[in-house]
Amino acid sequence: MSEAIIEITDLVKTYDTGEVQVRALRGVSLSVQPAEMVAIMGPSGCGKTTLLNTASGLDDPTAGTIMIEGTDLDSLDDNTKTSYRARRMGFIFQFYNLLPVLSSVENVELPLLVSGTPPSEARERSMAGLERVGLAEWADHRPGQLSGGQRQRVTIARALVNDPAIVWADEPTGDLDSVTANQIMDLLIELNESQGQTFVLVTHGREIAERCHRIVHMRDGEIEREEQLVG
Amino acid sequence: MDSLFGIPLTSILVALLLALGAIFAILGVIAWRQPLLVRMGLRNIARRKQQTALIVIGLMLSTLIISAAFATGDTVGYSITNEVYDQFEEADILIAFDGDISEFGDRFLTDEFLEALSAEFADDPDIDGITGVLAEVLPAVNLEQRLAEPNASVIGVDPDTIDDFRGLKTLDGELIPGSTLGGLRAYVAEDLAEEINVGPGDRFQVFFEGQPTDFEVIDIVQSTSITSSDGGSAGFVTSLDVARELTGNEGSLTAIAVSITGGVRDTLDLNDEVADRVEDFIAAHPESQADIFFTKKEAVELAELIGSIFVTFFLIFGLFAIASGILLIFMIFVMLAAERRSEMGMARAVGMQRLHLTESFLAEGMAYNLGSAAVGALLGLGVAFLLVLSLAQIFSDALGFGITFNFNWQGFLIAYSLGVVLTFATVAFSSFRIANLNIVRAIRDLPEPQPLRGADRSIGGLLKSAVGALWLVGWIVVLVVSAYFTILVTVLAIVGVFGNLPLILEALFSGAALMAVGALMFFGARTVGRGRFMDMQGWRTWVLWALWIMVFNVVAAGVWLLQLSRGWAGRHRNAGGWAVIMLILGALFVWLSGWGLDALSAFRGQAFSYTGGFTLAVLAVAMLLVYFGINERLSFTVAGLGLIWYWILPLPFSLFLDLQSVVGGELDPIDGVLRLLGLPRPGHIEGNIEMFFVSGIAITAAAVLVIILNAEVALTPVRWLGGLLGGIAPAIKTAIAYPVASKFRTGMTLAMFGLVVFSLVVMATLNSNFTQAFLSDDAAGGFDVAVDINPNNRVPDLREALRSAGYEPDASIGGAGRLVSSYPQVRRSDDPDGDEGYETYHLAGMDDEFIDLQRLPLEHRAAGYDSDEAVWQALRTDPGVAVVDATRLQEPTEFGGDPNQPGNFFLGVTDHDLRHQPWEPIPLTFRDPTSGETVELRIIGVLEPQVTSVILDFFAIFTHASTVEGYFDGGEWEGYYVVTAEATDEAAIETARDIESTLLELGVQASSIDKLIDDQASTSRSFQYLFEGFMGLGLIVGIAALGVIAFRTVVERRQQIGMLRAIGYSRRLVAISYFLESSFIALAGIAIGITLGLAISYNLLASPEFTGGTEIDFQVPWARLAVVLGVAYGASALMTLLPARAASRVAVAEALRYE
Repeated sequence: MSEAIIEITDLVKTYDTGEVQVRALRGVSLSVQPAEMVAIMGPSGCGKTTLLNTASGLDDPTAGTIMIEGTDLDSLDDNTKTSYRARRMGFIFQFYNLLPVLSSVENVELPLLVSGTPPSEARERSMAGLERVGLAEWADHRPGQLSGGQRQRVTIARALVNDPAIVWADEPTGDLDSVTANQIMDLLIELNESQGQTFVLVTHGREIAERCHRIVHMRDGEIEREEQLVG
Repeated sequence: MDSLFGIPLTSILVALLLALGAIFAILGVIAWRQPLLVRMGLRNIARRKQQTALIVIGLMLSTLIISAAFATGDTVGYSITNEVYDQFEEADILIAFDGDISEFGDRFLTDEFLEALSAEFADDPDIDGITGVLAEVLPAVNLEQRLAEPNASVIGVDPDTIDDFRGLKTLDGELIPGSTLGGLRAYVAEDLAEEINVGPGDRFQVFFEGQPTDFEVIDIVQSTSITSSDGGSAGFVTSLDVARELTGNEGSLTAIAVSITGGVRDTLDLNDEVADRVEDFIAAHPESQADIFFTKKEAVELAELIGSIFVTFFLIFGLFAIASGILLIFMIFVMLAAERRSEMGMARAVGMQRLHLTESFLAEGMAYNLGSAAVGALLGLGVAFLLVLSLAQIFSDALGFGITFNFNWQGFLIAYSLGVVLTFATVAFSSFRIANLNIVRAIRDLPEPQPLRGADRSIGGLLKSAVGALWLVGWIVVLVVSAYFTILVTVLAIVGVFGNLPLILEALFSGAALMAVGALMFFGARTVGRGRFMDMQGWRTWVLWALWIMVFNVVAAGVWLLQLSRGWAGRHRNAGGWAVIMLILGALFVWLSGWGLDALSAFRGQAFSYTGGFTLAVLAVAMLLVYFGINERLSFTVAGLGLIWYWILPLPFSLFLDLQSVVGGELDPIDGVLRLLGLPRPGHIEGNIEMFFVSGIAITAAAVLVIILNAEVALTPVRWLGGLLGGIAPAIKTAIAYPVASKFRTGMTLAMFGLVVFSLVVMATLNSNFTQAFLSDDAAGGFDVAVDINPNNRVPDLREALRSAGYEPDASIGGAGRLVSSYPQVRRSDDPDGDEGYETYHLAGMDDEFIDLQRLPLEHRAAGYDSDEAVWQALRTDPGVAVVDATRLQEPTEFGGDPNQPGNFFLGVTDHDLRHQPWEPIPLTFRDPTSGETVELRIIGVLEPQVTSVILDFFAIFTHASTVEGYFDGGEWEGYYVVTAEATDEAAIETARDIESTLLELGVQASSIDKLIDDQASTSRSFQYLFEGFMGLGLIVGIAALGVIAFRTVVERRQQIGMLRAIGYSRRLVAISYFLESSFIALAGIAIGITLGLAISYNLLASPEFTGGTEIDFQVPWARLAVVLGVAYGASALMTLLPARAASRVAVAEALRYE
């Protein structure tokens, strides 16, 4: 087995609401291999999104270590972590989280611009990204002018435009009908296979999860069990 | 202060209090009927404290400005009134010799007239004192200390009658009896005592015709009208006999003072009545040639007028800030609505009516409003206090008296009520607009469709829409009138209960009737219309309906129809209908102003309604084009550019004075089209200071429209630049994208910022250019030192007098022109009134040296005089010609004098008459009031206005000295105008000092003209800074707007910020993006304000009608503007830092968690 791209050990995350302390993650350990596609499943409130947020560096853990590509996230300051995210990670969210004031192509090129890519190159790569998700014709449209499936495709293009090592997806098909959801999953699997990127997906849907390499089942802030599906 | 814009303050206050009562009543009804809605509204206040603070600041600014304006005006009025009372003490009516009606002879009142007057009114219970005084202005010198006052008033009073006037008081306020006067002893007013440093027992000398007389100081007394001849010159009081002997005026009096029975402040009511009786007496004694010169009442009224002018000025200058404040209020509520859009959609879905949403917003808005208006009114007093501190300094320097802070509750209440009413109207309008939402779109947060695009684009559809819009106007009128009458009646009834019986009856009677009308109109229409009045159904409703029709006839039927058509109107009403109404209104305003209607003559000739109507019509046409499917950007860009072109034309600004005379209508697009079509052209259009405000609003709105609709194009260079900047390029991208996408709020903020900056730029530019032009070298007329000679100690030859006193003039004086003056009667020779047309005016005779030295610029020359030099050459050689200062051309104004009233001499031609066509010399006839001798002079030139800016003796008709000396008994006084040998400021100051000290005993007063100009410029600048500072309050509105938006967007975009952070935006980049976003808006607003402000200032200053003919070399006061704009941008940048920081600290994971 090759070296894990994500190595999480005894991860604890506690939210202090002022009155009570909520232990969202209670010592989670997880290892993800390069080019693996892992689905995290579990009932609402089990800590799936918290695990994704913490593991991706969007949130700080209360305890435990997160090693990404051999680097301890905790050792990075906010700026370095941010810059690392811009270069090596992509994100797909359930509600798309596109900037409504920018066109599709402008939304896609943002991560490139942030990581210092020259504007002309950023535009070229963004158009290529939109082409890949079948939305080149919609490049100049704003999110408000797109359907849910189209918006999610723009999000995917944005997540992959900087050629990230890891793509984090939080309920990527949660807001879509089943046909569109399957189309999006087809796209993600195709990209995973062709680009060899690592995908970590949080999902409620068994059908979606079953199309991944492995399912991690969570309950009450802990990993209940793991289910190896293919490969 | 009793009135504002000519309306009594009490009336304004009553109207506002009634409106306030109506507002409270509406809020009471809402709170009673919908307590939950009120709670909903109020709870929102506590949710976001920083935002609440900014909203309160925004809301209170209008009230603050109004309150500050009133308190400042009150203070000025009160202080001047106090000064009047202090000056007049118990003297109520002053009678003096009337120069204008003189039938030749001595120019004094006589003892005989005084005796006759005293005898006539001896038994008049309304008069408790009459006395005569003799006043002369002489030099007073303390020889021991070499200190002099060249113009000290010597007041001779009658010891037997002066006590009735209580004007002689020690510094401790003790009354001094007239009987203590006698011999060469005098009571010296404290200002003169200070000037020449004398105390009780000291001696000083006065000089009359060069002869000294010694006086002993009895005591130092308070300065009052008794101790000064014209209310200004420091003086001393001696007995009438001594004064007469001193000046050789036996049996003569300069003035007679009448005291009305009572004290100092309680005699104004009797003033007119007593003045009429005195007037009758004077009319019966024409040989006296007396006239009532001034009354205390007139002085008090003048003081109050000055106070009200200050209020008006501050209010007008504050209008921009008030307008910006109203925009801010509107925007705040629209933003609050955007924040709660899905909540409101949900509320509507579960059964809440539109009216409920409106009521909820009204409750919340008014909770902010009632508190912030009170805070604003109180803070306004604080701002006024600070303004008064500055004013006190200016008044003390320029006018010689202090200012005492004062405000009255009337002004304070008006400010509070006006603030509340303005905010209520704005909140009500925005709440109504907010509540008009589509439920599904609101819940799903989908964008609203283009509001201007018509669904039914047929003419019929548009007409229906217009009727729907008219319906709403009618309904609002009905509601307002009903509420107003209901409140009025309630107030009348309450007043009646505590008043007298007839009033109670009157109130009850009118109350019952009006209450019934109001109540039935308000509630009747609703309940009867729905057939459920007191659960009555079927025929009962019809009976009630029939009765109701019979009682209230047409009005009620109208309301009924409105009620019936409510649904229909609501369905058909859209933006197209409003555009039609705007178009009709705009056209109506243009027509009423240009052609007029007798019933609405208030609009006739008014520039604001003419230009405003045109602007409204252009915008309406653009709206209609969009309605019919034309591209919005294209329509409004063309309309906006058209309006900018229209307003930038010199035309609207020439309307400040006179349209026809300026351009003959050539530059007026409306007139141009009509002329082309051969249709009737508009009449005479005139505007005033309000055009400053109207132009600002119109041109800023037009510019904002153009910019906001074309922002993407306009910002292309910034995008390119952003690409070159590398690291912050993404921040620039988002910073541009948000304001471009949020056109409404960006436009509103741009308008707020632009308006305030526009007003500041126009003010600063006009002030700076006027100060520069009017206080330039032209004001000095080519001279360095002005030497005033005391009329009682004439100096026929300055050089000779200096040499006699041991001073060699040739070393320091390069030239000394003599100006010998008289004050004859003058009229146009062709005056149809003949001798009845005589008025008095200053005639100044120039000697040859004066003519050679002067550099007085000429504005107009008569036909046949091709150059200024030709005019001056004629003045050298022809004693029958003259030139006149420009003030004699001025048209009658409220404050500048009416040529039809006695006392003001005008040439009878305007600047325009002389500017646009050749003119023949104007013959004037002068008459010596003493000898009756006449002489005719022809006016061949008019001096430029700035000539009279500093030297008062240049308010004159200038001719050759030989004319004045020959026809007017050698002239009454003279002055010398010196050019120093060395052309430096120091040389001028030194020469003036030398002349003054050498001729100390003659009471000669010499001043460096350059220093006079500097002093006046300094006072003028102080006033300008004060007004600019006041206008700068509006900047707070713009800055608060940026703050509100920035805080709001942090909340709105929380999730987006989370996403940006997730994909790699660092905290710094997020903060920079926010900062740049606000900066773009602030800088764009500043750019709009400065560009339009400078363009309009240029137009104004290039218009001779605006500058009164002065040619102004337009200069941009960059340093001054840099301060204004630096403060504006700096403050807005500071205001944005906090929200930018908040945005950068948004917790990424949490922000992403929620939709």
